[in-house]
Amino acid sequence: MALTAEDWEILLLSLKVAAWSVVLSLPFAVAVAYLLARRDFPGKTLFDAVVHLPLVLPPVVVGFFLLLALGRNGPVGSLLHDWFGVVIAFRWTGAALAAGIMGFPLMVRAIRLSFESVDRKLEAAASTLGAGRLAVFATITLPLALPGVITGALLSFARGLGEFGATITFVSNIPGETRTLPLAIYTYTQTPAGDAAAIRLSLIAVLLSLAALFVSEWLVRRATRRMLGQDAESRH
Amino acid sequence: MLNLDIEHRLGGFRLKTAFASAGGVTVLFGRSGSGKTSIVNAIAGLLRPDLGRIAIGGEVVFDSARAIDVPTPRRRVGYVFQEGRLFPHLDVRQNLRYARLFLPAGSDDRFDHIVELLGLRDLLRRRPGNLSGGEKQRVAIGRALLSNPRILLLDEPLASLDAHRRAEVLRYLELLRDELRIPIVYVSHAVEEVVRLADTVVLMAAGAALAVGSVEQVMGRPDLRAAAGTFEGGAVIEARVAAQDMEYDLATVTFAGGTLTVTDLDALVGEPVRVRIRARDVSVALTRPDRISVQNVLPATITQIGAPRGGVIDVTLDVGGATLLRARITRRAAEQLRLAPGLAVFALIKAVSLDRHGAAS
Amino acid sequence: MIKLLRLTLVFAALLTPLLAPSSCKAANTLVFAAASLQDALDAQIRLFRSAAGHKVVVSYAATPALARQLDNGAPADVFISADSDWMDYVAARRLIVAGSRINLLSNSLVLVAPRSGVASTRIAPGFPLANLLGEGRLAMADTDSVPAGKYAKAALQSLGVWPSVAGRLARTENVRVALALVARGEAPLGIVYRSDAVAEPRVRVAGEFPATSHPRIVYPAALCAASRSPAAPALLAYLKSPAARAVWERHGFSAAD
Repeated sequence: MALTAEDWEILLLSLKVAAWSVVLSLPFAVAVAYLLARRDFPGKTLFDAVVHLPLVLPPVVVGFFLLLALGRNGPVGSLLHDWFGVVIAFRWTGAALAAGIMGFPLMVRAIRLSFESVDRKLEAAASTLGAGRLAVFATITLPLALPGVITGALLSFARGLGEFGATITFVSNIPGETRTLPLAIYTYTQTPAGDAAAIRLSLIAVLLSLAALFVSEWLVRRATRRMLGQDAESRH
Repeated sequence: MLNLDIEHRLGGFRLKTAFASAGGVTVLFGRSGSGKTSIVNAIAGLLRPDLGRIAIGGEVVFDSARAIDVPTPRRRVGYVFQEGRLFPHLDVRQNLRYARLFLPAGSDDRFDHIVELLGLRDLLRRRPGNLSGGEKQRVAIGRALLSNPRILLLDEPLASLDAHRRAEVLRYLELLRDELRIPIVYVSHAVEEVVRLADTVVLMAAGAALAVGSVEQVMGRPDLRAAAGTFEGGAVIEARVAAQDMEYDLATVTFAGGTLTVTDLDALVGEPVRVRIRARDVSVALTRPDRISVQNVLPATITQIGAPRGGVIDVTLDVGGATLLRARITRRAAEQLRLAPGLAVFALIKAVSLDRHGAAS
Repeated sequence: MIKLLRLTLVFAALLTPLLAPSSCKAANTLVFAAASLQDALDAQIRLFRSAAGHKVVVSYAATPALARQLDNGAPADVFISADSDWMDYVAARRLIVAGSRINLLSNSLVLVAPRSGVASTRIAPGFPLANLLGEGRLAMADTDSVPAGKYAKAALQSLGVWPSVAGRLARTENVRVALALVARGEAPLGIVYRSDAVAEPRVRVAGEFPATSHPRIVYPAALCAASRSPAAPALLAYLKSPAARAVWERHGFSAAD
């Protein structure tokens, strides 16, 4: 099964969009997950629900809201355009944003679980050794939560690869710019004699998702094994 | 060195304790739930008392009246937790060196010293998951020490260890106490640890300090027996090794009231040791017994007959005019022998419970 | 843990080429074109590109979707609509260069069936469409907004058969999806443009709708107001040129007048 030049362009675009979406949303997801795992504040339940909205809303709705807000006529979009000349609707950056938003709840869930399972007593021990709050987070909490962060990032990556509804609504289907794998497959299903290409790309999509999941599994297992000290030396 | 006076309400439990310690090893002793760990947590800053004042080495780290509450990282307390709490994602060396990240550059690096002191050299590359309980605790102690603390807190560090490991770590703790110049606060409910380590004992019960004093003062008081829980009434005596009999593995120790023969005493001649004599190991005789296996027969005078409890009665004996012992005998025997204060008798001590005591505090 | 960090960095390094911002695509010309133009326009662009050396990229979708995207700031250079209403829509919003609007193409409406399906039928007022459908549905683009659907509905209404099939429709997002339904045998009949039938080997034309049964089909084309592509006017001119006509006709389109 050879890939055409076009296939490669689509594949690389999809990977680029998904990768950026993860890279940019990860810091936010970590912060939000930490907040939800460790702090209580008025409106926490509402906040939690809003974070999870993209998981339960029809993706098209999310795309539509993005268009309303960030399209050239939208409040944020017009600001970006008038002041900075920046338009993210109909750009690959918009596709990354859509993918990032759709994958956000998955990321937050996985990371939050990880934070919750970090032993607070270890953090207390670190503070007695002189670590301030930020240092404790950076040297103890985050490293121990790493498996969850990895899982969350890769889950979101896989989700981003498959993002369709929000993408096509927000940034439409522009070849080379926003035509990610799912959109390309969709286009091919509407093209006469496009079935072969659609199947080819679908297989690629399956392989990519499987790869993402395997890598995630492997990384998590490694990280956990290190923690239990079961790699390097064995007990005498 | 340590000045503490705090009040705190935690659920249904009310903590109200005040004591001061001038240095050395202060043991907080009492049953589980008496508030010992809460006090240590308050000293470390992990618990914020509702009211009160805590000063370490002259610096006030907590004062509710003046809204002072120094955050834990700046209190410079070394805390050894009951479960060790080693960082699982770091190896032993990294665990030990963790505090160094936060010490000012140029601080004394006592790494090698502590590693040798606690015998950690072979463990450095290992991970906490691969360590035995005793090894974990030693690393935890080392880690706390390497934060250059001005006070060392230990919360029942031996509780989760089996007898063998406990002995191992206890030896290191004694070594520490002698090596370090910083005060140590040690939480325990085990009498053995109190006897071997304490310079000052704070007896805790139901959130309050019932008594503060030396081991002999606090542990010997019969009226505190209830609070001391499993502490068996008896006496703790300071003695010095006078001779060692290699053939029979017997040692002779001298104390204020005379001499004692002890079995299997691993100490050098001239070394000071603490001897603990349980009341139930002491028998009373009106005349010096003949052809008996008991090795220790000490002339003594009865100073007090305690209140009978069931079939048992405690008799306090003055040995050699300087030391008080207690003998726990049956009420029937006391009546048969017509024991009364002032009577001259002999104290028979068969088994001697003995623990090492290092350099004089 | 250091090793894990190193591993993560390696991963990140591998991904870096992807993270580089995309090469400046300002040089490309972006065309928004009605879905029914797909094969024909692709062919035209191949010829245009080889002639002039410019890179042209097309986004095909239903006309209403494209119009709304333009309204939301989509950076297209050329817009080809499947009816005048939608071109009026974007014109009213000043999204096109007023003087550049031309009527590019025309088309005709046909009834299609899968190759092994319904035989030919003559489309005249009152023809037995409902009977021909049998148990299945009639595939067509959405009749409220998509030009192909609007034309289809108008035609059926004027022929008096609309009431008999109004409840038996499979409305699709754009005309090409209707075509695909018929091609795959999911729908026994569908109404699409002649150009669509030409493009899809798996369907047959089962009948042609008289030109009088529906409003004239016109494909207006125009330059987008926000266009910054120097090649766009040339492209538009090319598509209208006699040189391009043969390709249009081969794909089933006819010239607009």
